[in-house]
Amino acid sequence: MANEVKLPRLGQGMESGTIIKWLKAEGDQVEKGEPLYELDTDKVTQEVEAEASGVLLKITVAEGEADVGTTIAVIGEQGEDVSAIEGDVAQPVAEVAEEEGSPGAQREPERERGREATASEQITEIREPAQGNGAGARIKASPLARRIARERGIELGSLKGTGPEGRVVAEDVERAADGAPAQPSAPAPAPPGEVERVPLTSVRRTIARRLTEAWQAPAFQIAMSADMTRAQELHDRLAERVKEGEAKPTVTDILTKACAAALMRHRAVNALWAEDAIELHPNANVGIAVAIESGLVVPVIHQAERLAIAELAAARADIVTRARDNKLRQEDLDGGTFTISNLGMFGVEQFVAVLNPPQAAILAVGAIEAKAVPTETGFESRPLMTLTLTCDHRSLDGATAADFLRTVKAFLEEPGLML
Amino acid sequence: MSMPELSYREAVRDALSQAMRQDEDVFIMGEDIAEMGGSMGVTQGMLDEFGPERVRNTPISEMAIVGSGIGAAMQGMRPVVEVMYEDFLTISMEQIVNQAAKHRYMSGGQLKVPLTIRTQGGAGWSPGAQHAQQVEAWFVGVPGLKVVFASTPGDVRGLLWSAIYDDNPVVFFEHRTLYGLKEEVAEEIEPIPIGQARVHRQGEDVTVVATGRLVHESLAAAEEAEQQGVSVEVVDPRTLQPLDEEAIVASVKKTNRCVVAHEAVTRMGFGAEVAAVVQHQAFDWLDAPVERVGAKFTPLPFAPVMEEYVIPHAKDVLAAIQKTVQRDGAS
Repeated sequence: MANEVKLPRLGQGMESGTIIKWLKAEGDQVEKGEPLYELDTDKVTQEVEAEASGVLLKITVAEGEADVGTTIAVIGEQGEDVSAIEGDVAQPVAEVAEEEGSPGAQREPERERGREATASEQITEIREPAQGNGAGARIKASPLARRIARERGIELGSLKGTGPEGRVVAEDVERAADGAPAQPSAPAPAPPGEVERVPLTSVRRTIARRLTEAWQAPAFQIAMSADMTRAQELHDRLAERVKEGEAKPTVTDILTKACAAALMRHRAVNALWAEDAIELHPNANVGIAVAIESGLVVPVIHQAERLAIAELAAARADIVTRARDNKLRQEDLDGGTFTISNLGMFGVEQFVAVLNPPQAAILAVGAIEAKAVPTETGFESRPLMTLTLTCDHRSLDGATAADFLRTVKAFLEEPGLML
Repeated sequence: MSMPELSYREAVRDALSQAMRQDEDVFIMGEDIAEMGGSMGVTQGMLDEFGPERVRNTPISEMAIVGSGIGAAMQGMRPVVEVMYEDFLTISMEQIVNQAAKHRYMSGGQLKVPLTIRTQGGAGWSPGAQHAQQVEAWFVGVPGLKVVFASTPGDVRGLLWSAIYDDNPVVFFEHRTLYGLKEEVAEEIEPIPIGQARVHRQGEDVTVVATGRLVHESLAAAEEAEQQGVSVEVVDPRTLQPLDEEAIVASVKKTNRCVVAHEAVTRMGFGAEVAAVVQHQAFDWLDAPVERVGAKFTPLPFAPVMEEYVIPHAKDVLAAIQKTVQRDGAS
């Protein structure tokens, strides 16, 4: 019996992927476990293995984008008739692809059901930020997972199961409860580009979709400037102590530390909007916006509040390198509770970042510039850096946000306060 | 205190002999147990020590062996009868199920049947379909019987002692391939309570409930699993009826996953009962379905290669363990 190769959902939130190239050709023998094709997702490019052995009878999607669940090829026995199987469009929310346009009038009732399903599900698709086990479908979850979810008030449907056949197991629920939200983080807005008609890559499409979603959040921004004298002094002293081979701490690392420490003091800001609740997370998982060739990516430094500056520097250096080498893993992108976007190196004085949903806030940081600051005796030149905090007004109010930002500023102006 | 080393076979002999030395009511009966010392060599030397009145050969009639044992037991003795191969318990089923198991109940307690029926089975040496079955599960479902299946020398000695001194009929299973297994045991016999399980190995990720030869296969599988990062707890119920449900359920509540393993055929095997108990009492603690390991559903083949294929081994227990912790989807 022929085995349909379907585009796999490799990560939560993945709805489609782009087939870059096929590593086997029609008519080739394939073995289960052998690399079959290269797939570009929102985040990474990787080889996908064949899940069955046999002859690659037909490739229905040769290259380009396909939705998750679409049949892209067929593996079977030499001589099997697979003409009925086409590369069809899968329902985005349901796990199983519905066939449309299949030959034979006897399929009409199925097609009708398929069309109805498509119509209803496409409307709900836009609203649902998380890809769960399939909207409305029976959720496969172990008894233990159900109990933990019940006890901790977590919605089973929003979880992706890692057990056999997509079953939600205890670990999946615990991961959600521990502050790893079921979403990949979206990148911060891209720097201004040239006017040129560039076809959308899946990365770009994802950025567009998620930031349009973000725009639905009622956002406000508050701005402050921080005197970076002491932070720069700290940076210089730390840089002196760096040993051969160690990552050199940067001002961004000090900023990350300051934000993590401030997030622990202002727990309301370390929060995610969850439609019917605000989730306060116990750890500051700070995402750092990194510009890479294909666009923007926001890898996360987990539990930043627990890391010493040297460890933060090492973690930051590692993820930035891997981001630029296109070697980020799903776990690097999951779980963020706060994002920092720094355009200072581009000479930007001040800017407003777009929220990274469902996070409550994102901090946009500009370049450190010498500015004249009034003192008792006249004016002095001080290195100032703008901090602009964009907040989701559903999760945060102005006073809370301002308090937080004031703490960040205080930490930057006197790092000793973080101790 | 010195710790002598006894084989499983010697441990059985030790329990029988010590009971017979201190208690005149205890005697043994079976096919070829006297001069020959038993087909498995268990009763070697006992005829010399205790004489033909107390070490009695019987005709080849399991019905008579068990029937006369029941009679002697009802008269106040503590006989230990032997059915040479557990496949032949079938011939004595009427006596065991309708007589031994029921007399105490039906007589309102006036009659007691403190009979121990020793038997053995086990594959791995091409005994063929009629000489290697594992039928312990049949007896677990008979109210009035106790069923014991020990897997180590220390356990078999302590449990046989308790079986002899239990006032109820006990069907006492031994495993043929374990007879040579040696272990250091205490100088004095330490009676082990009937109905008490034993945790052979502590673990965190999955509980394996195993009996007989599969206890040892499971321990080997657990070692292998450890290398793969899975921590396995191995529990031997030792007594199948009454079952130490508390110990088994407590273990599964700790690990959240369960595998049952026995050499008997999976279908309707003892593992099915354990699985039912576990899913009922630890339902909300289970992170995966209970996996069952047992022989494939076929009469046992004679050809060694086929026999090897049909009966379960450590690798099958390992596969079941891996199944309970298996992950499919990306996280």
